Amino acid sequence: MINSQWRAVQSFQENQNLISAINTLSIHIKLEVAGHSDLQEAEAITKAREELCTFLKELNPQVQRAETENKPLLGVDPRRRQFVNRLIAAKQNFRIHSPFLLNKLSEGTQLLRSDAESDKQALLLFLEELRMLLEEHIGSDVQQLFGGF
Amino acid sequence: MQELLKQNNTALRHEIEQLRQSLIDAQGDIPDELRAYTERIANECDILHQRVLRNLEYLEFGLESLLKDILSETELVTRAFYDLNGQRASPILRVRASDRLSLKLLLWLHATHPQAKNIPAAICDGEFGVWPIQPTLYATPCTSQKGLLNLPIFFHEFGHLLYTFHQSEMNDLINELQAEIRDLLRPPVERNDQFAQSQERRRNVIVNTWYEWAQECFCDAVGLVMGGPSFAYTFSMYFRVLGWNEYHVPRGELAHRSHPVTWIRIHLLVNRARQMDYNAVATDLEEKWNEVATALGVVEDYDGFYNSTFLSVIQNKLDDMITETAPREFLESEVSNQESESTFASPVALLNAAWQKFQNDPENYSEWEEDAIVRFLNPDI
Repeated sequence: MINSQWRAVQSFQENQNLISAINTLSIHIKLEVAGHSDLQEAEAITKAREELCTFLKELNPQVQRAETENKPLLGVDPRRRQFVNRLIAAKQNFRIHSPFLLNKLSEGTQLLRSDAESDKQALLLFLEELRMLLEEHIGSDVQQLFGGF
Repeated sequence: MQELLKQNNTALRHEIEQLRQSLIDAQGDIPDELRAYTERIANECDILHQRVLRNLEYLEFGLESLLKDILSETELVTRAFYDLNGQRASPILRVRASDRLSLKLLLWLHATHPQAKNIPAAICDGEFGVWPIQPTLYATPCTSQKGLLNLPIFFHEFGHLLYTFHQSEMNDLINELQAEIRDLLRPPVERNDQFAQSQERRRNVIVNTWYEWAQECFCDAVGLVMGGPSFAYTFSMYFRVLGWNEYHVPRGELAHRSHPVTWIRIHLLVNRARQMDYNAVATDLEEKWNEVATALGVVEDYDGFYNSTFLSVIQNKLDDMITETAPREFLESEVSNQESESTFASPVALLNAAWQKFQNDPENYSEWEEDAIVRFLNPDI
């Protein structure tokens, strides 16, 4: 009613889930590369991939619209708009290097679902940079929810 | 890093185990209305515990390449635990007998909607608000938990949860509303100079701000549709003497404000009440807000963020949003104010009866309320 903390709560939970999905996948690939079996079940890996694919499918048109149209992103919540702007700024400031974040976001879903050996390094870079952006983004939710002492 | 992560995860494991034990110890005090919520929180606790154990196992691999991931995972679990320990476990560990009133209403509210019926709810102390996640947490001021008059605000808060069930479709509808508001703001002749560009930027700020405002207006509409006159009266009384800012927000402070100026929300509620043929309610709200505004010397001005031409555009879109989310609508019999046994079986009837009683006989209201709450909580008496 007066309290608008709910926005931070929703954003916090959504971003926590996304980062968790990234970690699940990243650890899985690294263990595979090192010749170890993962502790996570295959179902958890598939779920993590799908969660990230859903996110990318939503994000891609939003980024495209923000980059090509000089108009507000209508029907998009403010925290997501901030993330879209964060991603665009990171591209412009050369803070990210994954081609899938730079200009092939639409192909990110194929990369996420790929099991090819040749895609593993590209996928790890993509996950690491996406996680960096999400970690930065979740900071303001954390500040609002937990504050400091 | 390896040792640091081991230390943090070991400490986390210990704290999670402590919280889990506290939840077990609290079982004896928990009313039935809070059991489902407690189970879900205990389950979340168990999941966090498993994640910490997994982190410790990953560390055993001794792989340098995993450390960044384990660090991130440790951060996630730490934050999730702080959230659980600091806020979401508290309704269980601080449970009071008086919580049953709010909890019974909230469980009924959730049961009215197919997508909410299996989502447990709890209350915590605080300014009215909601954490629209699963399980759902509703913040309620301390004395509001013990009486009936402010409880209709839960209908508004429930609207935020409904929104999440249909987020994509609701965002599309808000997208359409924003586009229509932009059209209303467009000047008759478009120029291509610096002034026109600055006007365009200003229009964009207004249009962006309406994303959040539309959600709040939707929740108000849910409140009225579900709670009937009780919601309108609660809303009006809760805000009307909070001060100048409920009626007027200075130029420059409107942009990206999370809630619309309350007087705009009153206009929308008044209009909706009239559409529903609740003219007496509409007139009451209108007159009382005008009275306070006149006393404060407020001149209505929203600096372009709202004017009367917006009203029908917003209401039409809110109608679509109500259709999309399909909240339970109040029944005529629940707001007819004829007190009977069924008054104490339906929360909507009870809250409307409470407002009727309060308005007609404020002196004896407290006594009536006390008895009404007992009858609502103990239908067999």
